[in-house]
Parts: sequence; C-alpha cells; structure tokens
Amino acid sequence: MDCGNGARARQHVFLLPEYLKDASKKMKSGLMFVKLVNPCSGEGTIYLFNMCLQQLFEIKIFKEKHHSWFINQSVQSGGLLHFATPMDPLFLLLHYLRKADKEGKFQPLEQVVVDDMFPNCILLLKLPDLEKLLRHVTEEKEIDKKKYYKYSKEKTIKWLEIKVHQTVSALKTNNVNVGARVQATAFFSGDQVSIDKEEDYIRYAHGLISDYIPKELSDDLSKYLKLPEPSASLPNPPSKKVKLSDEPVEAKEDYTKFNRKDWKTEKKNSKMTAAQKALAKVDKSGMKSIDSFFATKNKKKIGKI
Amino acid sequence: MESSDEAAVEKCRVHLRPGTLRDAARATLHLLPCEVLVNGPAPVERFFTPAIRQGTDGLEVSFRGRRLRGEEVVVPPGLEGYVMVMEEKGEVVGKDFSEGSSNLREEPELAAPPEALERDFDRFIGATASFSRFTLWGLETIPGPDAKVRGALTWPGLAAAIHAQVPED
Repeated sequence: MDCGNGARARQHVFLLPEYLKDASKKMKSGLMFVKLVNPCSGEGTIYLFNMCLQQLFEIKIFKEKHHSWFINQSVQSGGLLHFATPMDPLFLLLHYLRKADKEGKFQPLEQVVVDDMFPNCILLLKLPDLEKLLRHVTEEKEIDKKKYYKYSKEKTIKWLEIKVHQTVSALKTNNVNVGARVQATAFFSGDQVSIDKEEDYIRYAHGLISDYIPKELSDDLSKYLKLPEPSASLPNPPSKKVKLSDEPVEAKEDYTKFNRKDWKTEKKNSKMTAAQKALAKVDKSGMKSIDSFFATKNKKKIGKI
Repeated sequence: MESSDEAAVEKCRVHLRPGTLRDAARATLHLLPCEVLVNGPAPVERFFTPAIRQGTDGLEVSFRGRRLRGEEVVVPPGLEGYVMVMEEKGEVVGKDFSEGSSNLREEPELAAPPEALERDFDRFIGATASFSRFTLWGLETIPGPDAKVRGALTWPGLAAAIHAQVPED
C-alpha cells in the first residue's frame, strides 16, 4: 500500500478481461481490490471484485528475475505482469464452510463467512446465486424460510472431481505439456499410451486445483481420483520398450531446466533407469502448481497494490 | 510489520476507477531482460527506440552496450493490457477526509447500498495507459517460445476452465 508520497509513483502492468472496459460505461464504482484469505495457504491475498457484474477475480503475478519495463518515456523496475482472471467464489466460501464445520451444525451463511483478519470477506455474500453454488459443497436446511448450511465432504469431493475433468479438457485444448511421459510414450502405439496420458493430465489438473484448496482436501481428492502417492514410484521393470524412450526423455531436460525443482531432483535420480526417470518426472510434473506459470510465489508483491 | 497501519491495509479496499479503463491512451511497452533499479522518467524515445532495428529474425537493439534481441508479444484474446497507478491519499475531491479516519470502526454493511462500498480510509487506483502488445527482449537471443512470460500468458485460458461453474446435477 505504500505508494510513496514524494517517491515516483509505482506503475502496475495489468492484464484485465476486455469486457471490464465495456462494463465500465455503466458503472460509477464497484471495481475494487481487496485482501481476502487465500483458500490454500490461509494467508492474505489480493482479489478483484466487480460489484456491478458481481464477479470475483483472482490476481496472479508474473515475476522473473532480472526484468524491467519501459513504459512510454519511463522505466519501472521489477518487470511484473499482473493477471486478473475470473475466480470461482466457491473456493473461498469453502474455506469458511470447512472452518465452521468444526462446530458440526447447520448455520446461516452470514454466521459462516466471518473473518476478523479479512473483514472484506462479507463482500462474498453479495455475489449472486450463492444458494445454487453452495449446493455443490453443502447440505442445506430451510427453517422459517431461512437457509442453514453444513459442509459436506462427499459433495465437495465430487464437485472437485468435475473441476479436475474440466481442467483436463482445458489442458488438452491449450496443448499444455503435462509431463515427460507424454512425450516418451508418444513413441509407442496402442492403448497403453492413451491411458498413461490421461493419468498425467488428471494428475496435472489435480495439482492446479490443489492451489485453491487446503492440503488435507487435496490429499482426499487425490485418493478419490486414485492417483498414486507422488513419492511411491511404481517399480516398473525397465523393458526394452521403455528404453526406447531414453532419447526423448533426455531431450526433455532442456525444457525442464527452467524449473529448478525438477532439475535438482532429476540429478538426484541420475542413477535410475530410464524408465524410473520417466516415472519420477511424471510424478513431479503432476504436482504442478499454478506457481509454475508465474515463476514465484506472489503473496508478497501482491500486497503492494 | 504488525502495526496498526498493516491492520488498516487488511480492511482497506482499493477502488479501480472504471472511467480510466475507457479513456486510457495507448502506451508502448518493452520488457527488458535486466533489472533497472529505479522507477521514473527515462528518455526511451531518445536512446532506445531509434536504435531498434529489424534483423533477419526479429528485432535488435542495444542497452548499456549489450545486444538485445526481441519480438512482439500480443496480449491473449479476451484480455486488455493496462498500466495502473495508485492515487495519492486524499486526492479524491468531493469527499470529506479527516485524519485518522482509518481508525474508524467498520460498520456492518450487509444491507448497505452499493455507494457504501467506498469508505473513508479506502484508496483509489486508475489506469494511466492501455496496451494490446508489448516487445519482449532477451539478452543476445530472442526469448522464443520457451520464455517464462509466454507460459504465463497461457494462464487465462486454463484459469477459465478451473473456475468455470460446475453444472448442477
């Protein structure tokens, strides 16, 4: 929030949905950045509300070492690029529903969404169709025309499963490279290939969704999706077939070196067979978090808005 | 950092002035492969822009004696680029600002009309410029398809799927 009296005003480079420009004709106000709880980490994160269209956006920041902007006739250090993309408010509501569930009873929503740390959470209650949304993750009761809600883990897991499948489709249409194994197996034909591929996509999508839910729920979802434990590499005996994958696996290293985590573990695994290597890589790529799109954790810089 | 100031930040809202999104003039942006540690005016048009050459496979320029190679990056469809600057406190006209207003106790506002979204201790931000493309520069080589920033630009497409409403059963 420090925007320096006296110091040169900081310029923020943003990418916003185009339609906000048109929508802005009708609104005098109602676009605002507020700090809310991050449903994954529990820490404060900046979100953008559009009270006019009643939408919630999350803010992600691209930040890479050694970058700066030239903006017209000025220089802006840091080279940050902010993205505002639509966010499903249910992820945030889920944070409060799970917290309230400790009391183990049905409660009205305004008793659930309370936060001393982030009082702006009451804005969530103004979003439209909350009742419809909440049906995905809660049991509800109606007494005297008033709705009472209780978190349902079973429903939530099913809802998350659909989210994973939605994300898998997007990964495919966006041609996101979900792992070394996809490349390696692409050299073989047969059913095995498509099955492996699908699992890679699901794992990758699970990793992305896990950035919006607490660890505990992410683990439950992983079990439900029958994803193998990331650490337990499958003891697949190296077959001739898999050895063929040696080349593409090596070629892949060039690409993954940008991800330091991958690079480090890979070195550790250098004594593994090619097959094990390929598997190890798949496991890690499956744990892909959204941060892999943005180079660093963003919570610190985000506070500067 | 657990000062009362920080606490105010948690409560504060930063209002984006919608009108500035419409009126923002086009800006020219370059993303440089080096950290310039100051923020402020720079005679880009005098030193940088005239030195940009169209090479055989991309743009070329030099900055502080180092050769940069670059390429145009288009903002993904459905998005618009903006440069935004926070307004100074109290810059707003027509509002009664009193010192220490940030210590005011927050009223519950569940039933409040939309105008009440603005509170005395809130801040304002506005767009000063817009853009639909920028030039991405690399040191010695063109950043190419593996550039991290290109990965980030695929994010909006994925985010749309992650956050799409799940159909009711």
